[in-house]
Amino acid sequence: MVKEKIGAEAEKCRLFAALAEAVDGMDEEGAVEAAHAVIDAGIDAYEAITGGLSRGMETVSDKYETGIYFVPEILLCADAMYAAMDVLKPHIKVRRSAAAMPVIIGVIEGDIHDIGKNIVKLMLEAAGFTIHDLGNDVRVSAFVEKAREVGSGIIAVSTLMSTTMPGMGRLVDALGEAGIRRDFRVMIGGGPISASFAEKTGADAYGANAMEAVRIAAAWQEAHS
Amino acid sequence: MIDQMTPAERMGAFLAGKDIDRPPCVPLILNHAARVIGEKISRYATDGAVMGAAHVAAYRRYGHDLITIFTDTSIIGEAMGTTLEFPDDDVSRVRVPAVVDQQDLDRLEEIDCRRAGRLPVLLEAVRRCVNEVGGEVFVSVCIPAPFSTAAALRTTAALARDLYRQRDLAHGLIDRASALTEDFATAVHEAGGIPALVDPVASGSVLSRKTFEEFALGGIRRVIERIRTLGAPGILHICGRTSTIIDLMADSGAAVISVDQIPLKEAREKVGWRACLMGNVRPTETLLEGTPDAVRAEALACLEDAADNPGGFILSSGCEVPIETPPENIDALMDSARQWGLR
Repeated sequence: MVKEKIGAEAEKCRLFAALAEAVDGMDEEGAVEAAHAVIDAGIDAYEAITGGLSRGMETVSDKYETGIYFVPEILLCADAMYAAMDVLKPHIKVRRSAAAMPVIIGVIEGDIHDIGKNIVKLMLEAAGFTIHDLGNDVRVSAFVEKAREVGSGIIAVSTLMSTTMPGMGRLVDALGEAGIRRDFRVMIGGGPISASFAEKTGADAYGANAMEAVRIAAAWQEAHS
Repeated sequence: MIDQMTPAERMGAFLAGKDIDRPPCVPLILNHAARVIGEKISRYATDGAVMGAAHVAAYRRYGHDLITIFTDTSIIGEAMGTTLEFPDDDVSRVRVPAVVDQQDLDRLEEIDCRRAGRLPVLLEAVRRCVNEVGGEVFVSVCIPAPFSTAAALRTTAALARDLYRQRDLAHGLIDRASALTEDFATAVHEAGGIPALVDPVASGSVLSRKTFEEFALGGIRRVIERIRTLGAPGILHICGRTSTIIDLMADSGAAVISVDQIPLKEAREKVGWRACLMGNVRPTETLLEGTPDAVRAEALACLEDAADNPGGFILSSGCEVPIETPPENIDALMDSARQWGLR
């Protein structure tokens, strides 16, 4: 009995390591294979995501931050993570963990550059946040509408173009006009954005990169709970 | 603060290594030119007469040392079959990429760079500028480099995946793009312009050094070689971070290397003895959002770091001057170069 349990633990560790390595190694097939093995072995799917996939993405973001991985590598790691996630998702037992703040995320109106937004989304997701992804070229009114629906939480907005930056200030103003500004923390980021610009728009924070966005969101989460 | 030479005299002497009255100053005035004549970006981007008039007016307004014609990085991709959309008052974006799979690449037809897409718009703009002010200032066109064009043909995300999953397709795209870009550089030269290369997608913020070396450098080198054969100096601009690739940028054969997010001191240490550097007042923080004083302070810091670079130095913005930049900030940048000349 005890021996069996040790065997199961070892198998679990092995599979979580395989998931993490497949994500870090941009190996979509390997990730899917390991995810199926997790399900076949009767291992908890949620645990596999936090203990396997997220751990892999942590390594990936470390490599991104230290200049080992760049945008193509992040995309391929993300592909592997999402492919395994698709296998694991239907098996997750719903258990609301200590109410993670919802994050509404999108690229501001007029801009379709969404790689950066997707990386931030991915990192936030891996960190346990619930994401409402509005996609790219998102109208200010669509952000506000979603914010009303969600009630409270975090709004994360990005753009790669200087021409669409003013939309971010308009969003902050629109939240105020809708009377829900105080229910949301707003962070902005993207190529041309700066800390001083963020301050001017009235946003609560500027995320210089995906890791910083996660750190800010995690700090807000901690203050919240 | 009155200039002793015309921009053409200054740039000509500068590139020939002769004495000049003050450091050349070439803020990357691209789509901002439309604002100088109060025109919408969509008209500027699609009408060669408007584009030409905008750059002539911008030159007369600011007196910069090189006209830099450009509107978007997808224009060669568009000529090869990508469909763009044109927001009323913003730069175009990719709507339908030309190449979804290998068959699409094989099906791409031979392209006449003097007729395809909006390439004639750029050529028309060059001719207008040369006719009106060509006696006093050189006219350049910032042409998207092959890697950035491949991104416009495929979308950036698809190309990024190709680099690992369909390497042959990526190389094929870049080859085809290089051939057309070489042709177009020749057409620009024949219209009286100076072809320059811009490769924003190959930025060190996006690609690793290894990927840049394997996929982007070859295309750049090919086009720069053609440009140098035409007797032009070869100007290469890559925005974002470039610390990891600046030596490779110099290896491309470009005589002028225009940089964005890299300290000029570092750029100078790495390639200053074999390349003329150009840069790098921050476009958003300083030119768009800063005061004229902030622009002057940063411009002077750039000059202090690089004005005596052995390979030469051109004062510039790190990347495109943002469309809504206050004109007085561009004046402040130009005046910084003029003041430096008085020292």
